Amino acid sequence: MKRQVPLLITFTVGAVLILSTFFPPVETMGEDFSLYFDIIAVFAFFLGGGNLIRVNSDAIAKKKKGWGFSMVTMAGFFIMLAAGLLKLWNPGGIRGDVAGTGSMFQLLYDWIFNPLGATMYALLAFYVASASYRAFRAKNRDATILLVAAFIILLGRTPLGVYATSWIPESFSILQIPNLAIWIMSSPNLAGQRAIMIGIALGVVSMSLRLILGVERTYLGVDSE
Amino acid sequence: MEIFGTWVAAFLTLGIISFLYRDNPWYKVCESIFVGISAGYWFVTLFFDNILGLFWAGITREDPNYMLLVGAVLGVMMLLRLVPSIGWISRWPLSFVVGATAGFYLINYFSSNVMLQVSSTLLPLLSPGFGQPLFSSSLYDVVGNIIVAAGTFTGLVYFFFSKEHKGAFGHAAKIGIWTIMITFGASFGYTVMSRMSLLIGRMEFIFGNWLGMIR
Amino acid sequence: MTVTRKSKPFLTPIILVLVFLVFLSASLFAQETASGISVAPPANVVASDFNYDRGEQAEVRWKLSSDDNGSAGVIGYEIFRAGVGSEDFVSVGLALPGESYFLDKDVQKGVGYVYKVAALYSGGQSFSDVSNAVIPELEMINWNLLNLFIIGLLIAASVIYFISHAKKGRKLFIRKIAGLEAIDEAIGRATEMGRPILFIPGINDMDDVQTIAGITILGRVARMVADYDIKINMPVSRSIVMTTARETIKEAYAGAGRPDAYNDDMVRYVTDEQFGYVAAVDGIMVREKPATCFYLGAFFAESLILAETGNSIGAIQIAGTAQPAQLPFFVAACDYTLIGEELFAASAYLSNEPKQLGSLKGQDIGKSLAMIIIIIGVISATISRAWGGSFFIWLSEFVNKISTIQN
Repeated sequence: MKRQVPLLITFTVGAVLILSTFFPPVETMGEDFSLYFDIIAVFAFFLGGGNLIRVNSDAIAKKKKGWGFSMVTMAGFFIMLAAGLLKLWNPGGIRGDVAGTGSMFQLLYDWIFNPLGATMYALLAFYVASASYRAFRAKNRDATILLVAAFIILLGRTPLGVYATSWIPESFSILQIPNLAIWIMSSPNLAGQRAIMIGIALGVVSMSLRLILGVERTYLGVDSE
Repeated sequence: MEIFGTWVAAFLTLGIISFLYRDNPWYKVCESIFVGISAGYWFVTLFFDNILGLFWAGITREDPNYMLLVGAVLGVMMLLRLVPSIGWISRWPLSFVVGATAGFYLINYFSSNVMLQVSSTLLPLLSPGFGQPLFSSSLYDVVGNIIVAAGTFTGLVYFFFSKEHKGAFGHAAKIGIWTIMITFGASFGYTVMSRMSLLIGRMEFIFGNWLGMIR
Repeated sequence: MTVTRKSKPFLTPIILVLVFLVFLSASLFAQETASGISVAPPANVVASDFNYDRGEQAEVRWKLSSDDNGSAGVIGYEIFRAGVGSEDFVSVGLALPGESYFLDKDVQKGVGYVYKVAALYSGGQSFSDVSNAVIPELEMINWNLLNLFIIGLLIAASVIYFISHAKKGRKLFIRKIAGLEAIDEAIGRATEMGRPILFIPGINDMDDVQTIAGITILGRVARMVADYDIKINMPVSRSIVMTTARETIKEAYAGAGRPDAYNDDMVRYVTDEQFGYVAAVDGIMVREKPATCFYLGAFFAESLILAETGNSIGAIQIAGTAQPAQLPFFVAACDYTLIGEELFAASAYLSNEPKQLGSLKGQDIGKSLAMIIIIIGVISATISRAWGGSFFIWLSEFVNKISTIQN
């Protein structure tokens, strides 16, 4: 019972969703199930949020290494919860829009959340440079091809690329870097993208069938048959 | 107030950037603040959007959608994980989610990523128009179409699982992985500039807004 | 003598009136040219039921106004709808010049409607006659998707066939996937160094099939971790993923005969926010220094941040995702990368079970089908375009038709 019912649910729901594509009266079932998922996710957040509180308060209580930082995390969490749920400083009061102009929730978002996220994102500039440096020391043919293609595309979008090959005559214009970059994007890049996408889709089909038929059960904490 | 906010944002920005040098208490503080604030932010957003905006509004409107109660029941089942004796019930909403995901993705990925991609690859290799002379299309189009068709074909050969990459099959697979590597290189090169522009944005904040150095 | 002078007073007002009339007609004429000459209305307005829906859409087609010839006389069309027998027409949409089709998505099943289409010009509207009546109906089956159904059924049938006919002892050949062969080595390294494993199942929730793929691989990896008695650290970004991962790892430890060694703290929820999660994971990486990092699931821009931080601590990194935009970064920065389809095959590959491996064979059948359609389609399109031939023209059109999904 504990193992059979979940597998039956997976099978039924999966099969119904697949078939609903072909029958207009029930074709919106996919959207309905997506709504149920959104509701389940909020309930599940109590488990996740509860875990966050438990782990950090445990570290504080037992004075584990770094417990000060756990206090900072807890403080941030509860302040943001209070600011949002109680709509503190909200110009519209308790009935106003949670992110109303001047509300504490919106200020915390603008001053803290946004700058932190934008800066983490900006770190990518440094990381892409270090990854490129590593790729420059390409040790095999595959990595060399990746590197050369990346280099051409990168240069093709800069004035340097335009200038470097501007001396090439018009009849061989395809060899000018910007034109070469455009050609790479429209031909071999397109071919590779298609092969990858077709492969992924077939992989999804196979995996989905394994899940629906109950051949793959690891996610339930049950050994596969 | 605005100045205070700018100083806070600058403090946090520089704290995150300091991680590039090494892990340090400044970064740890910023990380802890980020985790706490963002977890709180998402809970508040999910609560107002999904519980009040979706669920509550859906069952209390003029034409109530009582099917939303299914979601609520499954959500409560999920929470029963906290009760050890009946914790196994939490597998039911999980099975629902996995079954729905599997069913939804199977059809959607198949139609958009297999059917659509295959039909887009069915290109004539030589002249593009009916009744046109054989080589009326430009070399650029001809070579391009050949590369697209052959590249897609050999890329699929590379991903074959049940055949060893030997002989002619192996050569085709090799061409396939080269095509895929070109694709990866193109994506890589294409994204580099956009990543640089993100950094420029933060530098403008630091030197422009915070330090007021750039007018 | 002043006799003629006496007739001038009569002339003046007449002349004034004449001049006024000339100016008036001139300005009227000028207004007409400024506002545009009226255009011909659209003709032959035909309304029909949109096929294979729930009866909430109707199609309207018309013959273009004869003045719609690129001269900018016609600036568009406006479509009006009324109930059958009613004169109360309401506007339901617009179309551009040159367009002769409109899909009305706001109708009710079983209710009769009629339509009029007006050609718009700068001076106003030129209405067509009223169309035929249409009653949108619900269709039970979407026959437009017949080709999707048949091809999908073929591929699903081949996967199911190989799963069900897999026999124990008769091993199917599966080519080696470097990233998966390296898992043993990677976990062995963690055992030797006495350092933990870090497992990141992506940043999406369980409603993404990539996350499910990551969790199924977690089951296999967790079993090895339990067998070798090393620590696994799994910070997650979603609460449902946390619940699922705990079930998976708990079962793996139970299967290894070590249920007491399992601890719920192996899986920790961090935050739903993408970059907040990455900031925390980066911190975990540099402080706990895992020997091996697994990144298996859906990733976005943070993929490179994770991979580069992992490089900085000298960890072995095995990544896999079906996000084509992130694959290049993993390939460039990680030791091994499972490219797209390989992520979904990984669980079957690692299980070594005949039934699971059979599904990979079914996947290959699907690829073969795609390749055959591409070969036939490209060759028939090339020959039919270059040399004609009714068979090749028919073949090219047939292949195009079966591989195109109509709405």
